[in-house]
Amino acid sequence: MSGLRSLTAVADWRSWAVFRRNALVFLRNWRTAVIPPAMEPVFFFVAFGIGFGGYIDDIAYRGVDINYATYVAAGLIAYTGFGTPYYEALYSAYVRMFYQKTWDGILATQVELPSVVWGEILWGAVRGMVNISIVSLVITVFDLLGVVDVNVRFLVLMPLLGFIAGCAFASFALIFTAIVPAIDHMNYPVFLIGWPLSLVSNTFFPIEPQSPVLWGLMQLNPVYQLAECARGLLVLGNPGTHLIGLLGSTALLLIPSTLLSVRLTRLRVLGD
Amino acid sequence: MTTAILEARGLTKSYGNQVVVDHLDLSCHRGTVLGLLGPNGAGKTTTLRMLYGFVPPDDGSIHYSGKPFDENRAEIKRSIGVCTQEDSLDYDFTVAQNLLIYASYFRPRVADLEGRVAELLERFDLTAYADASPRVLSGGFVRRLLIARSIVHRPSILFLDEPTTGLDPSARLDVWELIDSMRAEGLAIVLTTHYMDEAERLSDELLVIHEGRSVAHGEPHHVIDTVLGDHVIIVPRGEPAREEIAAWLHARGAEQVATVLGELRVPVSKEDLVELGARFTDATWQVRPPNLDDLFIALARRNGRFE
Repeated sequence: MSGLRSLTAVADWRSWAVFRRNALVFLRNWRTAVIPPAMEPVFFFVAFGIGFGGYIDDIAYRGVDINYATYVAAGLIAYTGFGTPYYEALYSAYVRMFYQKTWDGILATQVELPSVVWGEILWGAVRGMVNISIVSLVITVFDLLGVVDVNVRFLVLMPLLGFIAGCAFASFALIFTAIVPAIDHMNYPVFLIGWPLSLVSNTFFPIEPQSPVLWGLMQLNPVYQLAECARGLLVLGNPGTHLIGLLGSTALLLIPSTLLSVRLTRLRVLGD
Repeated sequence: MTTAILEARGLTKSYGNQVVVDHLDLSCHRGTVLGLLGPNGAGKTTTLRMLYGFVPPDDGSIHYSGKPFDENRAEIKRSIGVCTQEDSLDYDFTVAQNLLIYASYFRPRVADLEGRVAELLERFDLTAYADASPRVLSGGFVRRLLIARSIVHRPSILFLDEPTTGLDPSARLDVWELIDSMRAEGLAIVLTTHYMDEAERLSDELLVIHEGRSVAHGEPHHVIDTVLGDHVIIVPRGEPAREEIAAWLHARGAEQVATVLGELRVPVSKEDLVELGARFTDATWQVRPPNLDDLFIALARRNGRFE
C-alpha cells in the first residue's frame, strides 16, 4: 500500500510544488544553465562529426547509409537525455538534501517524502527536456549547414522522449543520492555506471552483441532504447520497435528505482 | 480550561533494541507553551519528530483537536508549524521569497499571502531585508526568519526545537518575546530547550523526559518540587566539613549529590535542612530554592553523564 502511494505521488500537488521550487531556481539562473547543453553538441559535432568523422566510412543503419555525424546526432540526444537527469538527481539533489537542508525544510510542511522524491524526478526529467531542446536546436543548425542529414521535423518529439526516459534516469540516480556518504563518493555512480552506460548504448558507436544474454540486457537499457528510438525517427522517420522498448525499459527501471529511492531517502533524511 | 490542540498517549519508539521513547503521554493546549526538557539522548527530538509526523510511532496515539493524526494526516499537517533546530532556510531565495515558497507547500492556500508575508516581515523586523538573501542575516535574524516561516500558513500549533541555541543573550530575549506574543495570540507551542531559564520562564507546563520516559510533568515549580524537593544547599569548595557533610547527606538517602566546580550541590528536604544546621553548627553553606539547572544535573547524573 505504501509502495503504491509512493508511485501515485507523481500526481499529487505536493510533488509539483517541489518541482516548482526547483524550476523557479532554474529560471533565476537559466542563462548560465543553458551554456553546457548548447556548447557540448557543438564540440561533439566539430570533434567527432567533422574532424574524427572524416576518417570514418558511412555507417549502415537499418538499410540506409548515414555519415558518422548523423549517427552521433541521435547519440547526443540520448547522451543528453540520460546525463542531464542523472547528474541533476545525483549532484544537485544531493546539495539540496545534504548541504542546503532544503528537503528538511520542505518536509516540515504538508509535503511528504514521496513527493520530495517525485519532485526531484520530475525536475530532473524536465531539465533533460530543456537540454534536449537546446541540443535539437544545435542539430537543426548543423543540418542546415549540411554536416548532418536528419528529419528535422521529428526533432520536436525528442524532448518528449527524453522526458519519459529521464524520469527513470533521475529516479535511478536518487538511489545513489540517498546512500553515498559524501559528495566525493558520487564518483562511483558517475564513473562506474553513468559513463559506461552512456557509451555502450549505441550513442557514439554501434554495438551489435552476438551473445543473446548481452542482446537481452541491451534491450532493457533505456539509454540504448532512447538512442535507437531517436535515430529511427531522425534517420527513417520511424522508431520501429524501439518506442515500445523505450516505454517498457523506462517502466522497468522507473518503478523499482522509485520504490527503492523513496525507501532509502526516508532512511537517510528521516532516519526511519 | 483551554482547548486541547495536541494529545498524545503511550507514544513509544524503538530503534533496533533500544527503546528511545517509552509510553510517553503529553498534551498541549491553545495559548500555552509545553516545554519538553531532558538531557541529551532523553528522547526529546524523537518525540517531537513523531508528533509532527517525521517518523511514525511504534505504539501509542496522537490526536490533534480530537482527530487521529494517522487518519487525517494531510489536514492536520496543514495546521502544524515546525521550526527545526537546524537552519533549513532556502538560500536560493530572498527573505520574502522564503516565506512565499514555504507557503506554497500548503493547501488550502494561505489566504491573502502577500499581505501575510508583509505582516510577518514587519512583525519579525525583517522588512529591511525582504529582498536580500538570508545569507546577510545574523544568527538572531535567521532564527526570526525560521520562526516566521513556520507560521506563514497560520498554524494552530507550533513546534520549536531549541529555538535559541547558539544565539547571543539579546537575540535570545527577542525570540522569547516572539514566543510569548505568539502564545498570547492563542498559538499552542511545544518547545524543546537546553536552557533552564528559558524553559522555566516560557513554559506553562513542563514535561521532563529521562531515558524516553516522563519523570515529571506539570507547572515548572511543581516539576522541580517533584524531582528535587524543597531546597538546594551549596557547600563551597573550601569548607573543611565538606566531605563529612556529603557523607552524612548520602547516608540519609540523598542520591543527587553533585559537585560543580568543587562546590557541593545537594537537594534537601526541609527536615534534612533543619538537622543539617543542628549537626554542623560551624560549617558554612548557602541555601536556595531548586531550579531547573539542578533538575538537569540530577537527571544527567542518573544517566551517568555527570560524574
